[in-house]
Amino acid sequence: MVLYRSSMNIGAAVCLVLTCGRGRCGSPRMERISRCISLRSWLRSRRWMKLECTSLSTEKLEKATCVANTHTMSLFGTTSGFGAGGTGVFGNATTDSHNPMKDVEVTSPPDDSISCLAFSPPTMPGNFLIGGSWANDVRCWEVQDNGQTVPKAQQMHTGPVLDACWSDDGSKVFTASCDKTAKMWDLNSNQAMQIAQHEGPIKSIHWIKAPNYSCIMTGSWDKTLKFWDTRSPNPMMSLQMPERSYCADVVYPMAVVATADRGLIVYQLENQPSEFRRIDSPLKHQHRCVAIFKDKQNKPTGFALGSIEGRVAIHYINPPNPAKDNFTFKCHRSNGTNTTTPQDIYAVNAISFHPVHGTLATVGSDGRFSFWDKDARTKLKTSEQLDQPITACAFNSNGNIFAYASSYDWSKGHEYYNPQKKNYIFLRNAAEELKPRNKK
Amino acid sequence: MAEGGDVEWELSKENIQPLRRGRAISALHQALSQQQEGDSSAINQQRQAFESELRMYDGDDPLNVWDRWTEQTFPQGGKESNLVTILERAVTRFTEENTYFDDPRYVELWIKFAENCPEPLDIYRYIQAQGIGLKQASLYIAWSEEYENQGNCRKADLVSKKVSRRGQSRMISSSSFTRLCRHVCPDRAKTERVSLAELKSRGKKKAIAPINRVGSAIRSVHAGMQSHAAPALGNASNIKLAVFDENKAHAGPSEPKLEAWMAPPTSKAKENEQKPGVWCDVKIPQKTTFGHTVMAPPPPKPAFQPFVEESDQPPTMTPCKINPAVNTVLSARKPCREETPLKRLQDHHQQHNEAVSGKPQEQSMYCKELLLSGATEFCFEELRAERYFKKMRQEVGGQKDEASASASN
Repeated sequence: MVLYRSSMNIGAAVCLVLTCGRGRCGSPRMERISRCISLRSWLRSRRWMKLECTSLSTEKLEKATCVANTHTMSLFGTTSGFGAGGTGVFGNATTDSHNPMKDVEVTSPPDDSISCLAFSPPTMPGNFLIGGSWANDVRCWEVQDNGQTVPKAQQMHTGPVLDACWSDDGSKVFTASCDKTAKMWDLNSNQAMQIAQHEGPIKSIHWIKAPNYSCIMTGSWDKTLKFWDTRSPNPMMSLQMPERSYCADVVYPMAVVATADRGLIVYQLENQPSEFRRIDSPLKHQHRCVAIFKDKQNKPTGFALGSIEGRVAIHYINPPNPAKDNFTFKCHRSNGTNTTTPQDIYAVNAISFHPVHGTLATVGSDGRFSFWDKDARTKLKTSEQLDQPITACAFNSNGNIFAYASSYDWSKGHEYYNPQKKNYIFLRNAAEELKPRNKK
Repeated sequence: MAEGGDVEWELSKENIQPLRRGRAISALHQALSQQQEGDSSAINQQRQAFESELRMYDGDDPLNVWDRWTEQTFPQGGKESNLVTILERAVTRFTEENTYFDDPRYVELWIKFAENCPEPLDIYRYIQAQGIGLKQASLYIAWSEEYENQGNCRKADLVSKKVSRRGQSRMISSSSFTRLCRHVCPDRAKTERVSLAELKSRGKKKAIAPINRVGSAIRSVHAGMQSHAAPALGNASNIKLAVFDENKAHAGPSEPKLEAWMAPPTSKAKENEQKPGVWCDVKIPQKTTFGHTVMAPPPPKPAFQPFVEESDQPPTMTPCKINPAVNTVLSARKPCREETPLKRLQDHHQQHNEAVSGKPQEQSMYCKELLLSGATEFCFEELRAERYFKKMRQEVGGQKDEASASASN
């Protein structure tokens, strides 16, 4: 078949043209595509486009750098335009394990480990990606229909950024940091102001849009969960938790917080936030990430919880048969079938659910991402191994783009930290690979 | 001392575990005064500092960190203060490091840990089997005291004899003193002060309350040995001061064998264990729909017709708040695994041996020791944040020095 010379896969990005754009009626084009183009011809066209693009890459590079340089605000400090080092666009002939999946590299990635990724909500035209990092900054890129990523703006905190989220209308970005504050970043004016204060680093931040109120929910290592109206310096509500908050997720009217010491609390957000239930952890190890999933009526019905030892639990809130419906599965482990050598177990760093299919993606310390179908209880795909752990992942609003960040997650302490090592964010076409196994 | 400080200490005297060597009064004051403030208090900050120092320590002697922090920061010594957890972590952490086996601080940690355990004698035997602290007289002294607390003076004596055999001359004088007093012990036990004798019953009722002197009460007899021995002896005029006679051979049982622990010791005082266990295998079928307690089978219908008042209402169902969909209200409790601290130690030892012998089934690819070494766990981000804050503090400190240097110029 065809050999790829470039490690950068622009072809996949070009394919996004067909799938990322909005249909005339506002509905995603994906359904039409799946009806019109058969799988084989789609693959063929994809490969052709890849070849095309490698020869045209120089042109596109120049265009991109021009766009980047016209912005008046200083962008992204040290790295200008495309990343330094020869592993960028022009690629190496040798196999470079930093991008074995040959996905699109986001331009101007952060200088330190990426802690979170989030795509803009569907109410906003286009796709914008924000990523927070341990370099104290949060950056915003526009992901264009042709697959190009354009750095747009960045904001700084006085400490590493641990989490970030969008408001429901896409005009504001909320960022949470180790400096114990959370900020609201108005993208139109590019101004950021502080909206929350905790006594410890803020680990998670989510926007809640209820019929009768809107607020920000922040979970911190000071064992509190606070709710903030962005206009007031005092929290609307402050809930005490048994331990430090490690991860959280919100899908109105449900919120889940996983804490240290394997704590798990579900909150209900109708009327005003209140604790709904404390759940005995289905996992035996430290909680690392959590993501809420919805049922066919688009109501939140349960969550997926990832632990530090290669296992994810699927837990329904009110299942008809808890013993049968709730389950856990192993993931991000090496030597799957080989029983003679010990199995290496890696942490699950993030979980994301596909907004349309309901299938999920997990990324781990082993440098792989995997796609799963929780209803069919099967694995859909596992990627090749990257040379760094994958620390964050996100789907865009229509589920066509899967973004994942490759950077050091501190899973082995500071000895394995190499500040010189580049960090990456990759974009992948998610339309086909995350289709559920069984047709519903 | 300021008056306010005195008052606080006095008010919560009973909450403070006494230390042999006494407590630093400043640390104690701080710990006590902060307790009312709640979570965001200096004591939590201290704990945080302990946790971070534990993980950031790069030097040769990690035991130092544990040693410094364990006692002073946790005056209560109870469950809240996690003292037992910390001690357990501390001893487990160094249990494989032979270099620490004779370190007096490490042995002290073990002794403190044993004191807080339900079965200290087992711990002491385990320590001996592992070869920890064999040259430390403090271990034997504590061990023999434990035997005494349980009333086993013979064994206590045997253990104390080991000290002389180990040849620690410095300790011999004090240990021989204890042996001396212990020889007094058998006599004493019979003719002790009236308060420790059996209670005499009055009147016709012959019920006698059992006496069960708990450890510290007995120990207090021996603790201030120098001060108490003389007056106690003086009071009991029947006791002659028995001079220690080396030749008086104790036809005692042979030394307890030093076997390696093959199986964890079974806990003897089952009824004193705090964790509940399954009583028996009989299971009562349980109605769970409305959360009512299980009713005994209704008594057989009486032969006569009970008189029912006209106004008698049938019992109404009280509204229940339990969501009927949640039908796991009264599920049978699973039998809890008996997990004494010693068992955990055994497991840890076993796992370590397995790892050393090279046949682990699974290997965690993250820094487990760093995350789990303190009293509370850390996550990767917390580890990294600690490092970041430390770096910031150093930078700020450096900047301040520069600023002051430039200001003074």
